[in-house]
Amino acid sequence: MAEVAYVNASRVYPGSPPVRAVDELKLDVADGEFLVLVGPSGSGKSTALRMLAGLEDVDEGAIEIGGKDVTNVPPKGRDIAMVFQSYALYPHMTVGENMGFALKLRGVSKPDIKAKVAEAAKMLDLEKYLDRKPKALSGGQRQRVAMGRAIVREPSVFLMDEPLSNLDAKLRVETRANIAALQRRLGTTTIYVTHDQVEAMTMGHRVAVLKDGLLQQCDTPRALYETPANAFVAAFIGSPGMNLKTVPLTAAGAQLDGLEVPLPRTTLDKVGADGLKEVTFGVRPESLGLVGAGEDGMELTVELVEELGADAYVYGSVRIADQPERFIVRVDGRTPPALGQTVRVGLRDHSEIHLFNPETGARIEG
Amino acid sequence: MKHGKYRFLAMAILPALALHVIFVLSPYAQAFYLSLTDWTGVAGQANFVGLDNFARLGEDPLFLSALGNNALMLIVVPLATIAIALFLASMLNLGGRRGRAEVQGVAGGKVYKIVYFFPQLLSVPIIAVLWQFVYSPNNGLLNGFLSAVGLDGLARTWLADGSVALWAVMAVMVWSAVGFYVVLFSAAMDSIPRELFEAARLDGAGRLATFRSITLPLVRDNVNAAFVYLGIAALDGFALVQILSVGPGGPDGATEVIGLGLYRNAFSFGQFGYASAMGVALFFLTLTLAVIAMRSGRRTKVEMA
Repeated sequence: MAEVAYVNASRVYPGSPPVRAVDELKLDVADGEFLVLVGPSGSGKSTALRMLAGLEDVDEGAIEIGGKDVTNVPPKGRDIAMVFQSYALYPHMTVGENMGFALKLRGVSKPDIKAKVAEAAKMLDLEKYLDRKPKALSGGQRQRVAMGRAIVREPSVFLMDEPLSNLDAKLRVETRANIAALQRRLGTTTIYVTHDQVEAMTMGHRVAVLKDGLLQQCDTPRALYETPANAFVAAFIGSPGMNLKTVPLTAAGAQLDGLEVPLPRTTLDKVGADGLKEVTFGVRPESLGLVGAGEDGMELTVELVEELGADAYVYGSVRIADQPERFIVRVDGRTPPALGQTVRVGLRDHSEIHLFNPETGARIEG
Repeated sequence: MKHGKYRFLAMAILPALALHVIFVLSPYAQAFYLSLTDWTGVAGQANFVGLDNFARLGEDPLFLSALGNNALMLIVVPLATIAIALFLASMLNLGGRRGRAEVQGVAGGKVYKIVYFFPQLLSVPIIAVLWQFVYSPNNGLLNGFLSAVGLDGLARTWLADGSVALWAVMAVMVWSAVGFYVVLFSAAMDSIPRELFEAARLDGAGRLATFRSITLPLVRDNVNAAFVYLGIAALDGFALVQILSVGPGGPDGATEVIGLGLYRNAFSFGQFGYASAMGVALFFLTLTLAVIAMRSGRRTKVEMA
């Protein structure tokens, strides 16, 4: 058990100009916390994890585990276990040998290793496969062996690098829940890397969003969803993504086609003080809805309807300043509009909007 | 269409098969037959003598010392070559710079790989002549180096001293073979996923444990193949001994190898029948070695998951 801290840690790859794969990452993870690092590919999330594991150099700053500076400690001295995307199981060892390898190196006695491995195998439903080679296992079983290898060590920190990306969709959802439950049971500090924001939202106590090596925001899933710190986080978190449009401001609010969204006085003052003529306006698909002809709304031409059963997502375009702008709207799955139809779309609640500075992308608090 | 297919296949196979039979299989058959005769190599006729030639082999002191020398080479040359090549290959691929986090080879690994490969580009006679200079007692590189560092006491007449001559020959064999196996093992180690080494490091494995538990088991196939090739080379050694050693095969049979006795009996003494018997004996020795090595290789086959 231990807390983890990135203290302005950077990884800089030499070159001209040098690439800052992870740029002054400052992040504190509490003991027993499940933290998810999420971001698009190339955001530095895996690099950040590998820096913590000691598999990647820390060029600037420091990394602490359990309050101890481990920046220059080799991996074996950090008391961490990692689950790799490819699982990295030793192909020439049986499942049992794979799981017990670390203990064997530590000089633990054979009966003790056997007991520990058996215990972990029971937890992961792997008892039947202990004598098999990884080759003879299915993808899901291999994933569990990789988890088992980490659990047997009883490390102070678990690191997981996209451990579910090689599983099929159904198994992924199942395993997602299992890992979260296992982590809760063991209470071990866990850092989990994924590019899948659904995984991030469902598993993490807190989620850290990275982009181009820079930490964008780190908060609980709920907070990320409701108050994204900038336009990138707003677009990245949530599926389908938030509708983000840069629209002109009027005296009373933001102007979208026929729909004028009134903004609170304080917000308008703030925007005015910054001298902005436009604002990036964000609204999630579920905050929009179909409205009657008389109500405030904009005309949306339906281009695609995704029916998911309970809900349907309507993709369509609205003309804003004579430019067609794409919008996604969640509607009731039982009565979706037809393709090519023009429907009237309005806001469900005027408070469920997000405003961002169109230049910096930063959130404008309302 | 069926008939046409088989005719086409026969047409494709037969010419190659005919060449193989004429130039590969028939000489074998001929050697087997000659080993049972007293043919001199020049006489028009050969008398059938049964297994007499093979019985003579058992009493020929030179052949027996050749057998002993080949046996020693069979143990020393493959083991030394493979051990050195494995060490160099793992340094080149995984030796890594101290204090750096990533799993990587030593700096300039590619250059070393090419340099190690150089001896492979030289033909055996050139290697032999080169090492004659190195071993030369009065102005040779080796003795010169030893006296330069004040170890005159270790200087020897390397090739003329019966107690070290065979070791001097084996050292040349190892030197000339190591480069190739460094490249072979490097390629094998290169194909091991990096994450396996990273996982081992996280599991707490140091360099030695990583080598023993991860690297070696995963290049075992290549090591087995190396044993077969090096074993065959160690059972031969004719060309090198013929040019490098004094005598050749000397001093006093110290560097005698089967191939040398075979050559001498056939072309100097005009005993083609007896020489063929040596060849047949060597053939079965080599075959046995290959079968044993292949068998032990099959059991330990590892498949990458």
